[in-house]
Amino acid sequence: MTAAPPALDEGRTLSPGAAPRDPRARRRRRRRETLPLYLAISPFYLLFAIFGLFPILFSIVLSFTDWDGMGDISFVGLAQYQFLVTDERFWNAVGNTFIIWFLSTVPMLFLAMVIAFLLHQNIRFTPFYRVAFFLPNVTSMVAMAIVFGSVFSDTFGLVNSALTALGLDAVPWLSSPWGIKVTIAAMVIWRFTGYNAIIYLAGLQSIPTDLYDAARVDGASLMQVFFRITVPLMRPIILFTVITSTIGGLSLFTEPQVLLGNGGGAGEAGMTIVLYQYNQAFTQFDFGYGSAIAWALFLIAAVFAVINWRLVSGRGDGPARRPRAPKEARR
Amino acid sequence: MSPLSTVRPRRLPPSGPPGPRPSRRALLAGAAGLLPLAASGCGSPETISSDPSELVMWYWNRSASPELLDVAAGGIPGTDMHVRADVIGTSFDTKLRTSLAGKAYIPDITYINSNNALYFTNEDLFLDLGELGADAVKGDFYEWKWDLGTTPTGRFCFFPLDIGPTGFFYRQDVFEEAGLPSSPDEVSAAITTWQDWIALGTELKSAAEAFMVNDAQNIYEGVLNSSPERYFDAEDTALYLQDGSAVREAWDVTVAAIEAGLTARIPRDRGTDQNAAWSSGRTAGNIGAAWWTQVLAESAPDTEGAWRLASQPVRAGNNGGSFAALPHTCKDPEAALEFLMWINSPENQALAYEDVQLFPSTPDSFTDLSYSGTFFGDQDPLDFFSTAAETVPTSFISTWETMISGTFTFEITNVETSGKDPERAWEDALSQAERVLTKRGVEA
Repeated sequence: MTAAPPALDEGRTLSPGAAPRDPRARRRRRRRETLPLYLAISPFYLLFAIFGLFPILFSIVLSFTDWDGMGDISFVGLAQYQFLVTDERFWNAVGNTFIIWFLSTVPMLFLAMVIAFLLHQNIRFTPFYRVAFFLPNVTSMVAMAIVFGSVFSDTFGLVNSALTALGLDAVPWLSSPWGIKVTIAAMVIWRFTGYNAIIYLAGLQSIPTDLYDAARVDGASLMQVFFRITVPLMRPIILFTVITSTIGGLSLFTEPQVLLGNGGGAGEAGMTIVLYQYNQAFTQFDFGYGSAIAWALFLIAAVFAVINWRLVSGRGDGPARRPRAPKEARR
Repeated sequence: MSPLSTVRPRRLPPSGPPGPRPSRRALLAGAAGLLPLAASGCGSPETISSDPSELVMWYWNRSASPELLDVAAGGIPGTDMHVRADVIGTSFDTKLRTSLAGKAYIPDITYINSNNALYFTNEDLFLDLGELGADAVKGDFYEWKWDLGTTPTGRFCFFPLDIGPTGFFYRQDVFEEAGLPSSPDEVSAAITTWQDWIALGTELKSAAEAFMVNDAQNIYEGVLNSSPERYFDAEDTALYLQDGSAVREAWDVTVAAIEAGLTARIPRDRGTDQNAAWSSGRTAGNIGAAWWTQVLAESAPDTEGAWRLASQPVRAGNNGGSFAALPHTCKDPEAALEFLMWINSPENQALAYEDVQLFPSTPDSFTDLSYSGTFFGDQDPLDFFSTAAETVPTSFISTWETMISGTFTFEITNVETSGKDPERAWEDALSQAERVLTKRGVEA
């Protein structure tokens, strides 16, 4: 982008017959023109360097030390990582994170797709529904946790009142390992379904309508249209939401923290990786171990990034690998 | 403020004369951009206020009487210094640690919660108030509270603020209906040991289908908080590993109570459920500190008049209660200590109780105080807790305790909520505690 204006400039100032400027002056002038641009973007980079990059790099250092946050920092080598690989609480947190991620992502994306598909039909008040479905995403998490805590309360909650009214057994939502996970997953679903539905809706609107018209002429049912046309054409967008949901799922923190506190609930059934990291660093003041957990999470996230990347690039490479270009070259 | 800001170059690109080379200009511009950051980073002062007669104090909401702070803002009586009190919101400990680690913007006076043992390993960051003459007022305070402010090396770094003597809160109406002893004297007489307490709870359970407490952790901590012995002694001996330790005793009492079905199995992270249980009478009791009175009155206002206080089995314990400390960078330690002695004098603690319900750590405060509420019917909680405070034993809370106590409460909760075998839970707590201590470099 920055290359274009200097080129234009060059053309304007070079009058016929003028000797070519010496390259140093040209470089100088280009610098003078690009400098304001760099200055304009510099605040972000400066702030990022101080508040983003430095803490990240410092946490690498901290993960090899023992530090309580105010006294001397003592180097302990790989001790934190050795502790980590044998720490049952950490692996419990890893397991919880994946279970909650799975419990929330699959129903959430399916629901979002259905909602988007319905919103895409010619129904009245579409803008109203769009806002209504997006609203949970911008609702205060703390308020939400109080509501969910009351709704899923074991003895006095709405859900259990409804279950017992229907003649079913009450479920100990907030004190059993699965109940806790389902409740957190429900919070995630409630909060992010609308967000994903809006993204899907944008994707749906980019699918040409003649495809639907053709399907309708051929007598396809609504279900057939959905599964044979909508879903296949939406694949890149679905992939995008899967990736963002994976990122969100791996860094799940707010929902369990506001619902269950820093301890992760009964039996630590709601302890996620990031909550465990926060717990160790900011309630136990074990910053070395907290940093080690953060970098373990980084490794786990990196594995998922590779899987995602393979998924995406695998599809992208498909057509390019066809031996078409060589054929053309031969001609 | 910083001298650096005066050399900030005025010539900012690109309007300058053509003379200087752009590279230098870029350098200058970059430096100009960095200046405010440099000024705030490298040249930052150790203390917060540059006013030599101003002491900055950090506290949190309702940990000091606003009325008294107003007086100190005009001047600490007997000195020419004044106090600027800043309310520090959440993550108090993290913020204090950050300022101490960064050696910048450290308050001159800081309040510290009952987790003051966390700071023992870095006690050199705080001044020894004994050296400054704090012993002159030692006789005014409950001895056990004063001792909690003393580090294992014998330095008195943490000045007593309020205390949290404990008792057994119970619903008189529920006890009465169940045909159990119901007046405070009767209940106190019926529960002089924990075994008696469990027996009474068993009767309550069968007669009224009500629980004694909401969670097992409440019993475990209630027992331990009333014990002179805790996890470690001041020489770092791991007392909890010895046969017949106080920790093991608290554990056994709690397991017996769980097995008798005395707990409602509502862990404390579920405050809504806990409050509902107390309001409805499903849970008819709680082992709580003096400050819990306000918590209860606010969360279960409909139960006013139904609650009474009975003496805890064996003896009263202490739960909570804050301290004040002077960081080593304090501008004027003498005046700061003068402030602490003034704001914590028996008269002023009585005033603070009336103002923000801080329970006084000086016995003499109670001569000035009277209670007029009806939350406990005709029972006077001030009288109850000030009597309880007399029996709180002297104990020692170790830094290492703060690192491992969570594993014990975690495992006792497992026994309670998921039916884990108590002996296995105990072994798991011990091995997890050992792992944590080894990692933190402590030999147990």
